[in-house]
Amino acid sequence: MHIASILILTTVFSCTKTDPELVDEQELITSVILTFTSDGEEDQQVRWTTQLNENPTITLNSNSEYEVAVSFLDESDPTDVEDITTEVKMEADEHQVFFEFSGVPIEFGQAVSDVLDTNQNPLYINSLWSTSSPGSGAVRVYLIHEPIQKNSSDRNGFGGETDVEVDFSILVKD
Amino acid sequence: MNIIKRLVLFFILLLTSIIHGQTCDFRILGIVKDLHDGEPIFGAVVEIKGTDFYGQTNKEGYFELTGICEGSVQIIVSHIQCNPVERSLTIESDVELSFALEHHINELEEIILIENGITQVNTSVSESQMNADQLARMSNQSLAETLNVLPGVSALKTGNSIAKPMIHGLYGSRVAIIANGMRLQDQEWGADHAPNIDLNGFESVQVVKGAAALKYGGDASGGMIVLSPQRIRLKDSLYGNTILNGVDNGKGGGLSSRLTKSYDNGFYFSGQLATKYFGDRQAPDYFLTNTALKESSLGFTFGRSRILKGWQLKYTRFQNETGILRSAHIGNIQDLLRAVESEIPLRVEPFDYAIEAPKQQALHQSLQASYFNQISDQSLIRIDYNYQINSRKEFDVRRANRSELPAIDLTLQTHDFLGSIKWRNGFDWEFEWGLNGLLQDNFSNPETGVKRLIPDYLKYQIGSFITGNYKPSNIFNWEWGLRFDKVFMDAQKFYDTEDWIERGYNLMYSDYEQKNFGTQLLVNPKLNFLNISAQTGIAIRLSDSDKTTLSYILTQRAPNVSELFSDGLHHSLATIEYGNLTLDKETSHKVLLGFKKENTRLSFGIDSYLNSVSNFIYIEPTGVEQTTRGAFPVWSYNSTKVFMWGWDVFGEIQFAQDLEYTFNAAYTYAQDLTKNEPLILVPPFAFNQQMAYTFSKKNIEILLSHRFTGTQNRFPDTNFSVNLIESGTIIQKQLDVSTPPTGYHNLDIYFSLPLTNQTSFKSTIRLIVLNLTNTTYNDYLNRLRYYAAEIGRSVQLQLVLKY
Repeated sequence: MHIASILILTTVFSCTKTDPELVDEQELITSVILTFTSDGEEDQQVRWTTQLNENPTITLNSNSEYEVAVSFLDESDPTDVEDITTEVKMEADEHQVFFEFSGVPIEFGQAVSDVLDTNQNPLYINSLWSTSSPGSGAVRVYLIHEPIQKNSSDRNGFGGETDVEVDFSILVKD
Repeated sequence: MNIIKRLVLFFILLLTSIIHGQTCDFRILGIVKDLHDGEPIFGAVVEIKGTDFYGQTNKEGYFELTGICEGSVQIIVSHIQCNPVERSLTIESDVELSFALEHHINELEEIILIENGITQVNTSVSESQMNADQLARMSNQSLAETLNVLPGVSALKTGNSIAKPMIHGLYGSRVAIIANGMRLQDQEWGADHAPNIDLNGFESVQVVKGAAALKYGGDASGGMIVLSPQRIRLKDSLYGNTILNGVDNGKGGGLSSRLTKSYDNGFYFSGQLATKYFGDRQAPDYFLTNTALKESSLGFTFGRSRILKGWQLKYTRFQNETGILRSAHIGNIQDLLRAVESEIPLRVEPFDYAIEAPKQQALHQSLQASYFNQISDQSLIRIDYNYQINSRKEFDVRRANRSELPAIDLTLQTHDFLGSIKWRNGFDWEFEWGLNGLLQDNFSNPETGVKRLIPDYLKYQIGSFITGNYKPSNIFNWEWGLRFDKVFMDAQKFYDTEDWIERGYNLMYSDYEQKNFGTQLLVNPKLNFLNISAQTGIAIRLSDSDKTTLSYILTQRAPNVSELFSDGLHHSLATIEYGNLTLDKETSHKVLLGFKKENTRLSFGIDSYLNSVSNFIYIEPTGVEQTTRGAFPVWSYNSTKVFMWGWDVFGEIQFAQDLEYTFNAAYTYAQDLTKNEPLILVPPFAFNQQMAYTFSKKNIEILLSHRFTGTQNRFPDTNFSVNLIESGTIIQKQLDVSTPPTGYHNLDIYFSLPLTNQTSFKSTIRLIVLNLTNTTYNDYLNRLRYYAAEIGRSVQLQLVLKY
């Protein structure tokens, strides 16, 4: 029995482990960027990141049309920023970008440059926003993974799993 | 058979209790031999039941008892390695007897066995048992579901096929599973990890309601589940069994088969094989999409067993793939709200056998070598070495075809050594001293592309125990035990540099810091714990039918890896879970008081307990974290003081020879004394009753089983609010995740029809209907209860062959 215990103890104490490797996180989204373009206006880029303490503000003009491009980035490693947008576009069938507005009357639809899925449903990765009266409010940007259906006027109708849900403040100027 | 045994026992007890007042100068002489090779057995104890007459066999196997009174006596011959044999005789003159002992259960005439042939693990601690026949009925279920029918035992479930056993409201690292004399080492810390074991490889299950068997560990404050394989017959024979199951719900079934070849000289080979295959299960109103299951297990045993010494080599392999309800994979709290508010699961698809993400895959292999030797007439040594390798993969629904890449990929290897020596001092004292050494290595594969939930670690544990049993007479028994364990954890974990600083770890544990990767920090925590555990208890036989037990158990448990290091997102609960490096060991004081009355017609028992736990480690909501998926509830491990009490009652009424009624009930109370609120996930009141009627002519049996699970009214409030945009305005909605579902009744029925009943071949066909009334219900202890109802009616056909 003594021999056995010594044997065990030797195996125990001769064991060393190699240092673990850093995990390369592949699906993380840390930043959501909205880019607004409109005729006669300077491009506007608004960025949501986990580091912010309050929601970033989008400033728009009333009664105007904007083309809005959404992009999703993984900036967890500042030296190796990954653009997740390409992956989302490639899997248009499994994804849906969606917006919900509160406090301000803004309508949105697909932009000419939008990506369509195999059933010709807009992904809204590039959308067209129309503002009307001035005011302030917020927009919630969603990226939905594997929605149950692709046509809905509210978030609940899409079902699926929420991959992104971030809020921006909106100020619609006169 | 049971009834006959009991009647005989009762009759004998009646006989022995008749007092004779006459001459007491007779002698009983005798010899005790090995049934198979006729070799004399030394160190066997010969006693006259109900008296203080004891004797022991010498090297030649002889014993002598003198001064025996005239009249009827019952002689018990026992030996550490054997089941005791009892024989009754009438003393009118000096007698010469010969006994043949054997390891295994034998139903020869004149030999009466302890009921079921299962000896209690601890005599002073209450225990629930299940025998081979009860296990066969449940052969299609998992370990936790099978044990769910025992008083004080419940199942913590994640969906339909993942279930963990719970004893007196405690689970995970607080419940030890002992298979074949060694502890099962399989990431037991995860609430959604089912034990990687198949019950079909075992003959009996014993649930000890406290960490009383210190030999196997001193940290299981809930209790221990002891699984024992079939005993080997020490004669030339070939035997085994086969169980075949077919079930309509899930359109699947299972096959399990065992075969053992044993020889006169003690050599034996044994093989075991089992497999289960199911498609999506069905709730009363819909299919539970992606709940298919594939499972297989096999085992080989080879050894030589004789009465005085033996050895064994055993290999077992268990593998499964379990689908997790597709609707339970959600992204954030708004998704959870949608699921809670929906009457039916959000994704219901037609029946399918395919298992897609989310799913779990587990592979558990174990290799064990055992040896025992009775080195003198008073002592026996036993050595076990066990290597277990457990690999576990969990798959989430992911982007870019990564669903086929596991999100969690862990490999846990454990070397476990247990050596002990048992000895006896006279007839009253018995002791056991032993050493237990363990080395565990966990590897968390970085190829997953997801932050490790559990880090790489090495765990060393060295423990020593001593236990004793003092039995001065048949009516009194005192047990005690003491165990020390030194636990050393050497982990390597990446922390978010920000988190590390925010929690103040950079000040407390700066010497653990190993390498800085910018946003990530590699840390090497080295943690030491010294655990002391103890047990003491008494068992008193108040009369022939009444017995009472009282026991105190002290357990100390080092925090497990999940409690210390857990770091990640829970897809089915929409929570972020964080471990806590500052946790200290958990100490529990449990007192159990039991009373049991056993008569032929009526048996009744109650076990009550108190459990006071300081530094009770639990997970609680601690805030909200802003993520790209919105606000997430954060749950962190912390410690508190907990007080628990409860009782289990059980009974059996034999209304007539062919009509038997059994029942049991259990209640658990658990309170967090720091926050002054109930503990989460405590089993509600449960009541089980069974009525069995056997038609005397053909032995056809009908068994009706009813289970009532109450509503848990004691729960902490862990609700949170969700902010939603509805028609242009932001609204707040309360998300109720804490209110337990209302109680339910569950009705099962079993028809058993014996086809053949020869000693060499027995076969039974059984029709089983579970959830007979097809009731829709939710169970509080199912962590996926928000998403779907439990399984509906399921009709099962079972064929049991014993040969």
